[in-house]
Amino acid sequence: MAETVYFETVAVGDDIPVLAKGPMTTAHIIRWSAAMENWHKIHYDWRYATGHDGLPDVLINGSWKQHVLAQVLVDWAGETGWLWKMNFQYRGMNIPGDTLAAWGRVTSRSQRGRFGVVDLDIGLKDQNGKEGSPGTASVVLPLRDGPPVPYPFDPAALN
Amino acid sequence: MAVDELVDHITPEVRAVIGARSDWLEAPHPVEASEVRRFFQALMDPNPRFWDTAHAAGTRYGDVVAPPGFPVHAFRRPAEELNDSLAAAGDPDFDGVSRAMRPGLPKLPVPLSGILNGGYEYEFFSYPKVGERIQCRSAYLDIYQKLGKAGPMVLVVIEDEYRTADGRPLLKSLNTMIMR
Repeated sequence: MAETVYFETVAVGDDIPVLAKGPMTTAHIIRWSAAMENWHKIHYDWRYATGHDGLPDVLINGSWKQHVLAQVLVDWAGETGWLWKMNFQYRGMNIPGDTLAAWGRVTSRSQRGRFGVVDLDIGLKDQNGKEGSPGTASVVLPLRDGPPVPYPFDPAALN
Repeated sequence: MAVDELVDHITPEVRAVIGARSDWLEAPHPVEASEVRRFFQALMDPNPRFWDTAHAAGTRYGDVVAPPGFPVHAFRRPAEELNDSLAAAGDPDFDGVSRAMRPGLPKLPVPLSGILNGGYEYEFFSYPKVGERIQCRSAYLDIYQKLGKAGPMVLVVIEDEYRTADGRPLLKSLNTMIMR
């Protein structure tokens, strides 16, 4: 079990531990496509992806990438914190051969009620450092002498 | 292209569906352990909260759960839907994607064939446990047109609310789909 991350230990500018996946291959892509039953041909039909759609290769699913963004935050917050909000844009394409690194950096922190709320910039960079899924997130953390973060999470607890 | 730039896809028919909200619909089957396993294996995220029942019993969830964003993928092709979704796969233009944005929402009368996912805004409340049934209701919050590099694009903002069948909130999302 990861140690509890308390609000008091987090500072603006902190980087949370990076989560790397890859190098990604077509096998990883089809494993995910099959799990979610997504039959969009740009993910497994190279001739269609590059010919019909003019893409550089088959694409790593955006739906897969969003779970990696959630995972880096949930892994950091642990079972005593809560990933409350997360948003991102799909700006870049990722292809087989890419190694993706999910990252987060604390941009602000505030105590709300008896809990701490930490805001972060987040994203998913490729092996060349190119950002493809930029966004932001808010994570709720317990205070050292505070109550546990409620589960199911109710934002009214922050009032 | 010059002509396309003048096309206004936000017709009265499209305007008429802005604000449309579906009823609560239930996913075709409860969350299954093997379905969750295939998800976390494909995500390369073997956290014990997804599979170790003894571990999960001691967590705030009380039982094994699915990954946070799982409800978004829970609405699969139901068994009673006998029309093969790959029936048209021999068509060279077939891309494998349904043009129905959400099960409970009307199709959009927009004659653009390309579809892209622009991104999401999520708010999480709880995770679905194996065996629970997931319900969703959706709404077209906004539909508007922008001029992209390759011509007009229609941006569709969809709000989805997910809960368990007994009413526990799971997550809320705003999804921007791009038609072009």
